[in-house]
Amino acid sequence: MTRKLFALLGLLIIVPLVLGACGPTPTPTEAPKTEAPTEAPTEAATEAPATEQPTEAAPAAAEEMAPEGATPPPGYEGKTWADIVAEAEGQTVNWYMWGGSDTINAWVTGYVADNLKERYGVNLNMVPVSDATEFVNKVLGEKQAGKDTDGSVDIMWINGENFRTMRQADLLYGPWSLFLPNTVYVNWEDASVSNDFGFPVEGYESPYGKAQVVMIYDSAKVPEPPTTIDALIEWIKANPGKFTYPAPPDFTGSVFVRHICYWATGGYEQFLGEFDQELFDEKMPACWEALNDIEPYLWREGQTYPENHTRLQDLFANGEVYFDVSYGPANASNMIKQGKYPETTRTFVFDTGTIANTHYVAIAYNSPHKAGAMVLANFLLSPEAQLSKAHPDVWGDLPAIDPALLPADWQQKFNELPRGVATLPSDVLAAHRLPELQSPWLIAIEKGWEENVLQK
Amino acid sequence: MTLEQAATRDLAIPPSQIAETGWGWGQVARWLVVVGIIVGVLLPFIPLAVWSFSHRWYFPALIPTQWSMRAWHYVFSPGSQVPKALGYSTVIALVVTLLSILIGIPAGRAMGLHRFRGKTLVEFLILAPTIVPTIAVAMGIHVAFIKYGLADTLLGVILVHLIPVTPYMVMIMSSVFANYDPEYEEQARTLGANPVRTFIYVTFPAILPGIVVGGLFSFIISWSQYVLTLLIGGGRVITLPLLLFSFAGSGDNPITAALSIVFVAPAVIFLIVTSRYLTGENAAIGGFGKI
Repeated sequence: MTRKLFALLGLLIIVPLVLGACGPTPTPTEAPKTEAPTEAPTEAATEAPATEQPTEAAPAAAEEMAPEGATPPPGYEGKTWADIVAEAEGQTVNWYMWGGSDTINAWVTGYVADNLKERYGVNLNMVPVSDATEFVNKVLGEKQAGKDTDGSVDIMWINGENFRTMRQADLLYGPWSLFLPNTVYVNWEDASVSNDFGFPVEGYESPYGKAQVVMIYDSAKVPEPPTTIDALIEWIKANPGKFTYPAPPDFTGSVFVRHICYWATGGYEQFLGEFDQELFDEKMPACWEALNDIEPYLWREGQTYPENHTRLQDLFANGEVYFDVSYGPANASNMIKQGKYPETTRTFVFDTGTIANTHYVAIAYNSPHKAGAMVLANFLLSPEAQLSKAHPDVWGDLPAIDPALLPADWQQKFNELPRGVATLPSDVLAAHRLPELQSPWLIAIEKGWEENVLQK
Repeated sequence: MTLEQAATRDLAIPPSQIAETGWGWGQVARWLVVVGIIVGVLLPFIPLAVWSFSHRWYFPALIPTQWSMRAWHYVFSPGSQVPKALGYSTVIALVVTLLSILIGIPAGRAMGLHRFRGKTLVEFLILAPTIVPTIAVAMGIHVAFIKYGLADTLLGVILVHLIPVTPYMVMIMSSVFANYDPEYEEQARTLGANPVRTFIYVTFPAILPGIVVGGLFSFIISWSQYVLTLLIGGGRVITLPLLLFSFAGSGDNPITAALSIVFVAPAVIFLIVTSRYLTGENAAIGGFGKI
């Protein structure tokens, strides 16, 4: 009797469990890589139009107002910024972001969370992910399951291809970012800000910071770094095995390849529009040729490439190669501080410029805490937060706002920011900016590299 | 015959006989194996420990040229989320272990003691989660869990962890019951014990070693889940493997090493606490796969 009972009980529990495990298997959506960008032709920060400048240096939260004439975001018709701040109080905002840097994590969970709590009564819950595609797929999964309200993602750190994907799949809330009081400090005239990877932002994301490619080298080993692509290629050939770049589609490897392509095909200007297959087929062979030309002189004779940027950083840290490429101008200084790179590490940009882009925060379409998320985005844009983030001891990220649009005393503070020992001055960076291409171009170049360089 | 003797009767070599063989070649070989295992298990942790205190460590230096507490400082700072993740990991692993025991005992008994129609099919279904790729199953479960409101919750993560855990638990309990003689229960019943007392005083002590071994498996499997936790927990339920992967991917070796040590420590403690049941001298672990 007991035995049968046990047997029955066991089966009753096991069968549904196992059946559940063998359930349906929808195909995971193919999602794109992280990071990407846009930047318009160099525009000196100083010639930005001077908009209305607040008289107060740091306006208190209560005095903040939406820019004049800005349309309230969907769902807040007829409301003011103060209404949004009031609604945000007590909300807990879930911020999904890449969590692989202790300095960035500490800034977000410390400085940002504390200020948000103190000033607005908004709680911040940082959710670290190892790749941006994780939250893209998550929101997509929720949409497929019909969870159109009460989603789990409120705000995301995002740009480029992921933004494009989410925007095209209607996974983002908006337009909202032009309603933020601090958006007046953003130079929306700058095409690299108003377009994310060539894709118009249109109020669906709010700028958070900027990135620009720099070349990293060890001045003890390379006293005179090659600051043009021609000189770099010459150097590579003269020093076999001491240079390599991560294999695209790694975003750092991809952007390095684009620099070579810009150089080999006679300039980026021709590629700025929509993707054009004919133009691609006509121009790009020159780029493949240049890359194949240097391949035998790369690390391990170019038979293999580092699989991602982290591997390249390891190679550089161990002195196996003499150059590193990075999207972060302050990255080298941070690496020195963390003991990963030698004290003699320095950076440079090519005379013809390096590619730059902006990174943003965006709100999920099904976020239950949109007000709190907007308050967070607004705080991230505040001169104080941008200044704090730009400090080399904190993060060293380039400001997303244009200091020229700030009151004089705040401009002063940005000018007085200490720079990391290996970080270039911001005017040097600003004078050497190249734009990103739209993501179909990037994908085509990455594929072309694989077919024509890796497998040739 | 005591219960313990009863339980050991199926072993090919009774423990007493092993003890009598003394310091022969067999004994030496046995110790060599033990030392080999200890070295093999502990050796990989030495570089981890060194990394976690390093500040500057380039090829070809054998030891770091500069030391730092940065990694440990970060791991124990509130901003790192490590204490929270440690809490989540512990609660999840313990509850999953408990649930898997509750499932494993009756299921293992049915599989180990009884023959019934369709038993092979049931065996196959129990093993299915170990054959089917987890990620494929998890995508389907995720959609279902979103609908039931289980996604992003602790309960959802616990339930989904039961999938990889249950087959091991049931397998172990099946082999325990395959070597178990239910007539002792009948004897107890004849002497007037009710089913509950029979279970507490007869069945449970006899199968306890199996429960401990199965529990250890369950704990460690749940403890080290990444994909399932990420998908079903949606980043909201943060466990240690999630934090570990964030840093492993970013190439911050000192912090990755420190997190790895924090990650491994509880599993090792759990292993040590239960190790006396793993000596092989306990009866119930007659053999695996013999259902």
